[in-house]
Amino acid sequence: MGLVSIQNLTVALPPGADRPKAVDDVSLEVGRNQIVCIVGESGSGKSLTAHAIMGLLPRGVTAAGGQILFDGVDLLKEPPGAMRKRRGRDIAMIFQDPMAALNPVVAIGRQVTEQIRAHRAISEAEALKQAGALLGEMGLKDIESLLKSYPHQLSGGQRQRVMIAMALSLSPQLLIADEPTTALDVTTQAQILKLIKRIQAEREMSVLFITHDFGVVADMADSVAVMRHGRVLESGTVAEVLGNPSHSYTRALIAAVPRGESQLPPPPDVRPLVQVNKLTKRFRRGGMFAPGKVNTAVDNVSLTLSRGETLGIVGESGSGKSTLARCIIRLLDPDAGEVLLDGADIAHMKPGELGPLRRRIQMVFQDPFSSLNPRQTIGDILTIGPRIYGEDPKEARARAADILRLVGLNPETMNRLPHEFSGGQRQRIGLARALMLKPDVLIADEPVSALDVTVQAQVLQLLDDVRQQMNLAMLFITHDMRVAAQVCHRVMVMRHGKIVETGPTRDIFARPSSDYTKALLAAIPGRQVR
Amino acid sequence: MSFARRFFSRPTAAVGFVVFLAIVIIALAAPLLFARGPFAIVGMPLLAPGSPGLPAGSDVLGRNMMIGLAYGARVSLLVGISATLVATGVGILFGAVAGYYGGVVDDLLMRVTEFFQIIPAFVLLMVLVAFLQPSLTSAVIGIALISWPQVARVVRGEFLTLRSREFVEAARTLGMRDTRIILTQILPNALPPIVVISSMMVGNAILAESALSFLGLGDPNLLSWGSMIGGARSAMWVAWWTTTLPGISIMITVLALNFMGDGLNDALNPRRGR
Amino acid sequence: MKLHYIFMRLVKTVLVAIAVVLLSFFLIRLAPGDVATVMAGQSGYADEAYMKSLRAEYGLDQPVPVQLWKYVNAVAHGDLGMSYVRSQPVFGIIMERLPNTLLLDAFALVLAAVGGIWLGSLAARRPGSFLDNANTILSMFFYSVPQFWLGMMMMLVFAVWLGWLPPFGIETMGADYTGLARVADVALHILLPGTTLALYFMASYARLTRTAMIEVADQDFVKTARAKGISERQVARRHILRNALIPLITFAGLQASILVGGNVLVENVFSWPGVGTLAYEAVSSRDNPLLLGIFIVTAILVSLFNLVTDIAYSLADPRVELGQ
Repeated sequence: MGLVSIQNLTVALPPGADRPKAVDDVSLEVGRNQIVCIVGESGSGKSLTAHAIMGLLPRGVTAAGGQILFDGVDLLKEPPGAMRKRRGRDIAMIFQDPMAALNPVVAIGRQVTEQIRAHRAISEAEALKQAGALLGEMGLKDIESLLKSYPHQLSGGQRQRVMIAMALSLSPQLLIADEPTTALDVTTQAQILKLIKRIQAEREMSVLFITHDFGVVADMADSVAVMRHGRVLESGTVAEVLGNPSHSYTRALIAAVPRGESQLPPPPDVRPLVQVNKLTKRFRRGGMFAPGKVNTAVDNVSLTLSRGETLGIVGESGSGKSTLARCIIRLLDPDAGEVLLDGADIAHMKPGELGPLRRRIQMVFQDPFSSLNPRQTIGDILTIGPRIYGEDPKEARARAADILRLVGLNPETMNRLPHEFSGGQRQRIGLARALMLKPDVLIADEPVSALDVTVQAQVLQLLDDVRQQMNLAMLFITHDMRVAAQVCHRVMVMRHGKIVETGPTRDIFARPSSDYTKALLAAIPGRQVR
Repeated sequence: MSFARRFFSRPTAAVGFVVFLAIVIIALAAPLLFARGPFAIVGMPLLAPGSPGLPAGSDVLGRNMMIGLAYGARVSLLVGISATLVATGVGILFGAVAGYYGGVVDDLLMRVTEFFQIIPAFVLLMVLVAFLQPSLTSAVIGIALISWPQVARVVRGEFLTLRSREFVEAARTLGMRDTRIILTQILPNALPPIVVISSMMVGNAILAESALSFLGLGDPNLLSWGSMIGGARSAMWVAWWTTTLPGISIMITVLALNFMGDGLNDALNPRRGR
Repeated sequence: MKLHYIFMRLVKTVLVAIAVVLLSFFLIRLAPGDVATVMAGQSGYADEAYMKSLRAEYGLDQPVPVQLWKYVNAVAHGDLGMSYVRSQPVFGIIMERLPNTLLLDAFALVLAAVGGIWLGSLAARRPGSFLDNANTILSMFFYSVPQFWLGMMMMLVFAVWLGWLPPFGIETMGADYTGLARVADVALHILLPGTTLALYFMASYARLTRTAMIEVADQDFVKTARAKGISERQVARRHILRNALIPLITFAGLQASILVGGNVLVENVFSWPGVGTLAYEAVSSRDNPLLLGIFIVTAILVSLFNLVTDIAYSLADPRVELGQ
């Protein structure tokens, strides 16, 4: 018998929620000394299942039926006091965003000792010693000063290591990890995954790992359960589920994971439409009484982009990729260098000259929830651009209907407001808004990073179709090598504002020349998926 | 679902609205109901409420308190609403420009609002009104002057966050001009907090006006609730109604406005409430 | 770095004071009439020669820039000039009143903060409960009451009807208490005005504490704290309240700044001999040097309070570094 046995668990949402049950009749086993992954998209109920085990369901959300047996004891029937003692001691949990999960105003040392001392009667000094040892075990350096630091002084990876150290401080039998790497950069993600795997093996404990990423599943899991709409669709060993998925949704999910292999041929060699030369952008910080710090976000970057071609700009957070895009489209004014559009330098044009050229470069944004004005109807959002350039409103509306069809939406939705649409639909609307101006260049800034995997695949496909149909030059900004491989002809890798290397996607993936690119590629989770 | 339903689903907001409406009607109807005006002497001074023809009693000079209370509503509402309109208008203008453009304008605005934080606001108000000569206009100007920085700060904050939202960036990449972005993209989204702060500000302006009149810095040609209280200070010990009733009138009016403001806050930000 | 910042802030305080001097000077110059018309009006004796001599005495016959220069020069040397009405140095008059105002403020602020935070955290424990709603409505009530009127009502109830507390002043006139007896006497006198002031601010504290605690309770680190298995009490104290109190520091600083200028209305109602009543007298009697002096002294005090607030904030929140 396994360590945790969930039987027919049902979690009810408060009245007035969009559905009555978040988790519906879920049964699941977590064996001793193994890693079990629950994989699913947003709204699948995977996270609430994990919270139900901890006895930490949000206010108003209740476990309405079933059992959660932990070592034979039904946790749902445990009195609150006993459940509290189990938390941290028998079962520990780490969360998605370690910055938010750590108390910002309490020193790291105290946050770890607090947990130890909640369960064991030892002195603060003794607990601090144990905390230091644990942090060392997590691969953290300079423990003395780390214990006195505050969360904001650490990097994302360090913070998650602290969280893990805290979770392990009382040697729990079960560690629940709720999307623990989603908020981290790829290379950091790889390290944290490795750490969790190592710790699990060393301590022979059980891990319940919640994720949306089949790549991560492939790397981590012994067995896996696929959830959707609050139900478990199928479960089994990793080999079974990944190798021979029985449910069509599982197959779709696996198919939607970008492969990390380039499918596109090298670009046609034509005269570039956009030419960026030695572009530099600096940000200054500090006010009247503080000495200013200068951060060079984009450092001497040059690139070319031709019609019909997609150039991927790949980098981790802080690499300057988004700043570069915003300089090219003149949302930011670059400090030096030029941006030639058909030979005309738009980097230093005055607003008056720039005006008519603006429509030739358009952008699709990252966040589907903030990229559409919540108070304008879809029709207004789409036609406002053309109207600026003097197009007849009626004509613009007719064209908007065509373009909505092109991006796969019903033209009758034009009178609706953005909040009535899903994330994927909003990204389609954002794309339609850009296309309304018949641009030559389309900049896509992380257009799919906020979307679920299956929706991601659809939007990527749409972007590629549109590029071909309209013969667009596309600049595709992403943090995800796998996504870049899927849609880009060429890839440019950026780090700290500089270009690390650039070349046809196939070459970069097959023969990366810089160490950084090699590390990025090695960090891609689940390279062995098929 | 709808705005009105969300607003009225809060009992306090509904009560506030009804009470406020009643006060507006009384203020508008006062000259029709009591043509002789509030200063007319109708009988013996300090007659208790309930005396014949004097449901609210008479004051130190033998004037009908009920007429005074009705006319007082006119002054309170007039000053409260006009001062708020002026302050909100000025505040939106400066706040929007500072928040959207940043830079020198923003620095300047912040320095000016700092100045208003450093000078004791009510003393400044007294000085202004005293030097401009106490009148309805000077009260409105003075109250607007000490209130607008508050609106400006809120508007600036909203514009500062909204201007970096992606839909505003999208409008810029479409080639939209700044004025149009401010008016069609940002302002509609910044309105909810402005509406809420304005509704609360009417209440505060009424309180400020009553305080001025209480200290004898109100319009000498008009009877207001504050001046009724101020004039009855000496009689407070013997005739409780002379100070109590106008005070309760102020309180009810301001309370109604604040309840409405709370309701507006919930109705305009369905997510934020609770 | 930190000392450097504090020094720069002190320099800024001086600059602010100068700006306040200039602005107030011109503001007050804009007013029609001057000391001569006021004093002549008071004595009922408006002789041209007398008024001329008065103007000469106070230097009002000189050109405005000269007057300004002389005033700024004097202020720089710590001389705020002579009061028109009292014929005493302005600085002395203000310093005599300032401790009374600070005493009243301190009493009101502590009472308001302690009571308000307590009420707010009670309400935040169960949002939507009877206690929470009662608290909200009560806060709203104290928000909406005219302060001067609330003071009068308190006076009516506790001093006139019940006779428990003295209605006026800071101590019993003519009793000449000394030592502890005097402290007790002042304590008795401060209760009514202090509570009147405190009730208004208490409402603000309660509302702010409630909102902040509900907001913080939703954050991930509170979930982490629960996942550690520590008790609800500790979760509430160490994690929720500790974070929720940080924004209150700013508010407390703001309130202290508002109060430094003296609360004209409450001091007036209770005849409290503070800066507020002084300001009212100065306005009524057109005592411009006294008014200017009050503006300058409060401006400097407010700037210092702001600095203290910033330092307190940076101590309470490690994310905030002084000077950023």
